[in-house]
Amino acid sequence: MPELVMENIIGLLNFRSVLTLRHVCKDLMNFVDKLNDSKLPESKFSKIEIDVNSDIYITYGNLATSIYSESDNSRMFNRKGTFLGNSNIVDVAIRDLEQVLKFQKSTLSEFHFRDHQSLNDSKFSNFHVKLSNIFKKLNRKIRTTKLFVTLGNQSEYMSILPFFDSETLEQLVLDTVDNQMQIEIDEIVKTEQWKEANSIFCDFYALNMTVEDISDLQKFSFKMLSISARDLDFLKKIITNSSKFEYSFLHMKYFNEYEEISNIWGPPFHYGSESQWYFRMKNSEENILQIENDRGYHLFSFHKIEIREVPYGTIVQDYNEN
Amino acid sequence: MSSTEQGTSSAAPAEPTTAPESAAAPEVPESFYYVHGKDKVVHKVSAGALQHSALIHGMISNLGYTEEQAKANPFPFENIDGDILQMVVDWCNQHKGKPTPPEDTNLPKQKEKLFDLVLAVNYLEIKELLTYCCKQVAMMVKGKSPEEIREIWMIPTDAEDEAAEKEAKKRAGKEAAGETAAAAGDAK
Repeated sequence: MPELVMENIIGLLNFRSVLTLRHVCKDLMNFVDKLNDSKLPESKFSKIEIDVNSDIYITYGNLATSIYSESDNSRMFNRKGTFLGNSNIVDVAIRDLEQVLKFQKSTLSEFHFRDHQSLNDSKFSNFHVKLSNIFKKLNRKIRTTKLFVTLGNQSEYMSILPFFDSETLEQLVLDTVDNQMQIEIDEIVKTEQWKEANSIFCDFYALNMTVEDISDLQKFSFKMLSISARDLDFLKKIITNSSKFEYSFLHMKYFNEYEEISNIWGPPFHYGSESQWYFRMKNSEENILQIENDRGYHLFSFHKIEIREVPYGTIVQDYNEN
Repeated sequence: MSSTEQGTSSAAPAEPTTAPESAAAPEVPESFYYVHGKDKVVHKVSAGALQHSALIHGMISNLGYTEEQAKANPFPFENIDGDILQMVVDWCNQHKGKPTPPEDTNLPKQKEKLFDLVLAVNYLEIKELLTYCCKQVAMMVKGKSPEEIREIWMIPTDAEDEAAEKEAKKRAGKEAAGETAAAAGDAK
């Protein structure tokens, strides 16, 4: 068939039929692989999940999961097993993913990449490098609303993050296998993906992060080694000025400026083991910023609440621009 | 050359008895052209019907043939089988001046004929008909395995392809050797 006709036919098939077509013969495989992404049908997955553990699991939307097992060097999909012979299972998994990504042009609601391997027992240590390489080869940014990445250090996160479209990304979740880890994030905070996201959640202790790096977010949760009372007050001021802020959690490993913060914010309202402060927000009669502190966990949580939710008898401090 | 004047029977629908306002404009007589395929059977087709084919439309747009000149110079499409060209002409006549429907169920069911029609329509650049044909070819393989697709689309396996290639090379080599020997004989 002439090229134009084949392009027409491929555009009229669904993506699964096109993937099947690749296995008919070498010529068709080459033809499909060389075809511009815009000529390929859309896979329209809502979610892609990659889990790297003792085996590799890749799930596309509501389809069955592909399991790439090292122990018997096989791929299992839809209860159908394929022996992979001498092929490396990381290469096969990555190649399969690369094929599907060519068809995924619409915005995903979620993209998960969870590398659960501990540093000491890393069977597929180069997985994130190969993943990064196919993202690079794709030559266009992956569009997802929420991005969840579990890795072990800044350079690993940096090998993945820049390949996601910052304009569509709303929520970024960075996790680690061990949530006591301390990770430098001075490069990550400079990425467009960080700057454009509305919500960011990290489960590790973020090093080299300033309050300015998180002050523009709608929702966030971070762990820090410590924070000064002055920085906490700076954050409070930014939040009371923000029209989009909803909630945040700041968990400190060490914090011993309780006296200083009470001097700045005034005496707290005590509720059980928690201390609470209430501040009016800019240009709003209804919205109040509630700050709760649990001394036992060095946890400060910030919530935008409505005036009717403020406990009876509590003092709500006026909005203060300075 | 045998000659039939087809395509004129399926002309435009009868004119309404009450003419619309636009009918007041003087009517331009419709011009006709002639085409034939491999079988040399000539088909008379109106310029309106031929507008579906970007190739033919491009060929006739500035030609200014009289009826006699057009009849004397049919467009030859030697690469298209007569029955396939007949299908194309019928389709162009049926859809002359009409918006094309979202799908066409009158395409050949026999896959060899459908593939020939695809090639002809692609050559003649009939966009809408090509889309219908491609849809039908695509539907044939939806949900099928690679082996089934190979059978439906009559695609040889890679091994068969390689064997055929080897055979062709071997034959070409023999022919070249034969020619060289003949040339050497001539030289003596």
